[in-house]
Amino acid sequence: MVEAVLELKNLSVGYDEPLISNINLEVFPGEVITILGPSGIGKTTLVRTIAGLIRPLSGSFDLNVERRGGLGYIPQRLGLVRHATVAHNVSLGARTRVGFSLNMWKERSQRTMDALRMLGIADKSNEPVRRLSGGQQRRVATARTLAQRPQLMLADEFLGELDHSNVEIVFEAVQNLVDDGTAVIMIEHHDDNAQLFATRIWEIQDGKIADISIKEWKNRKTGGEEE
Amino acid sequence: MKYRLFGIISILLLLAWQTLDGLIEGDWGRLEGGLGNLSVFFSESMWPPNWSVIEARPYPVCESEIEFFCSVGYLGMMETIKIAFVATILGFIGALFFSSLAARNLVPLYVAIPVRILLSAIRSLPSLIWAILFVIVIGFGPLSGVLAMTFYTVGYLGKLQYETFEGMANDSLEASRAMGLPRSSILLNVVIPENSNHLLSQLMFMFEYNVRHGTVIGIVGAGGIGYYISTYLKFLQYEKVFALLILIFVVVVIIDLLSMMVRSFVNDEGDVRRPTWLNVVLSEK
Repeated sequence: MVEAVLELKNLSVGYDEPLISNINLEVFPGEVITILGPSGIGKTTLVRTIAGLIRPLSGSFDLNVERRGGLGYIPQRLGLVRHATVAHNVSLGARTRVGFSLNMWKERSQRTMDALRMLGIADKSNEPVRRLSGGQQRRVATARTLAQRPQLMLADEFLGELDHSNVEIVFEAVQNLVDDGTAVIMIEHHDDNAQLFATRIWEIQDGKIADISIKEWKNRKTGGEEE
Repeated sequence: MKYRLFGIISILLLLAWQTLDGLIEGDWGRLEGGLGNLSVFFSESMWPPNWSVIEARPYPVCESEIEFFCSVGYLGMMETIKIAFVATILGFIGALFFSSLAARNLVPLYVAIPVRILLSAIRSLPSLIWAILFVIVIGFGPLSGVLAMTFYTVGYLGKLQYETFEGMANDSLEASRAMGLPRSSILLNVVIPENSNHLLSQLMFMFEYNVRHGTVIGIVGAGGIGYYISTYLKFLQYEKVFALLILIFVVVVIIDLLSMMVRSFVNDEGDVRRPTWLNVVLSEK
């Protein structure tokens, strides 16, 4: 039986008051979950709690990933080192996975370059991140996670206002991770992007999460026409 | 908003005026004739500067073809620059170590508070006192100067650095923490590169500060140009002191221009236009 990478047990998240309460959900390898809901409802708080950046208000969660490099996180503002080069930023992902050895420099560099090529930014590797466009920076953040190859990837609106071609490039990279068994939890505002990636939707309403399969969600959207 | 700012500045000025009045116990008469005294002192004792300080000393015999390289001004200034350079580099590295343990966003509070207290203790002694201490412990010479400035640099830069670290955007820190990067790696690969502009600026400022303070610590026998200033002051040769002060001013301006050049490499493109070596010296048309 496949073990869940994430298990939420009666979890309540929020700052002073709970924003989302009594979450009981599991996430398995290879799943892509999109969190939907209006602004300020607790999507980011949930993701930050799973990332270990905020303490849960009550309940708990089991994160069955390796301590170093098992979790990938792309915050809303991408979390890039703006004054460092693209290659340096992407190599941070590789650093978490390549331990000390004689070949570590070569391995890190290989992982970094592979990720840069997949995201189509290998020619920008020596550019400081601050000089790139918003879309290119999103590709750098994705490349960092690709070089990391985490077991669980958390992404907070990382597609942002990307144009169609950029979304496709990022989609291909994420698909590559998912094919290797990475589970993805991402916050998304656009229904189209949610459909493109997700296998399940977590819809947040009135402080509760509804866990919906992508098929059911599409049916809802089309009013059952696809059935 | 404009009126509020004006009001705040007026209140602060009034407070400063009141405090000063209290300090001098209302004896404003002491200022009378002060400007005249200064003018007499400057015109009779300091002006014109005595430029013999950039001519070769009579002893030891100058072996260089260029006289300037054997002058009191050059030798003293070079020793001060060397002391300041070594102290700034050592102090900068020491300060990085301590500041990374003092920033509240990098370490828990129970680590940050004792390290901050330590940095405050180091900083509370001015470089002059450090210099006197090291002259007593080690004796006269540049090594005392280097150690005095290194200690002061650690205390001073340490505070600037941890405040810089605490002011950085949190997202890159959070992403690297969630990814599982160790603390040392976060410091070296995230915190330092992200704050490189500020760190370079502080490094250059500290170097300039140490060059300027080389004059002060030299007075207590810790080497550098201050030794010569102290000697000329004793013999009331104020024209020579003034010439040396001009020399220090020129060096400080050069360091400032160098700082502008160095920092332009890590500035946001468009914020500050990168100067060329030519327009560092000559203004652009």
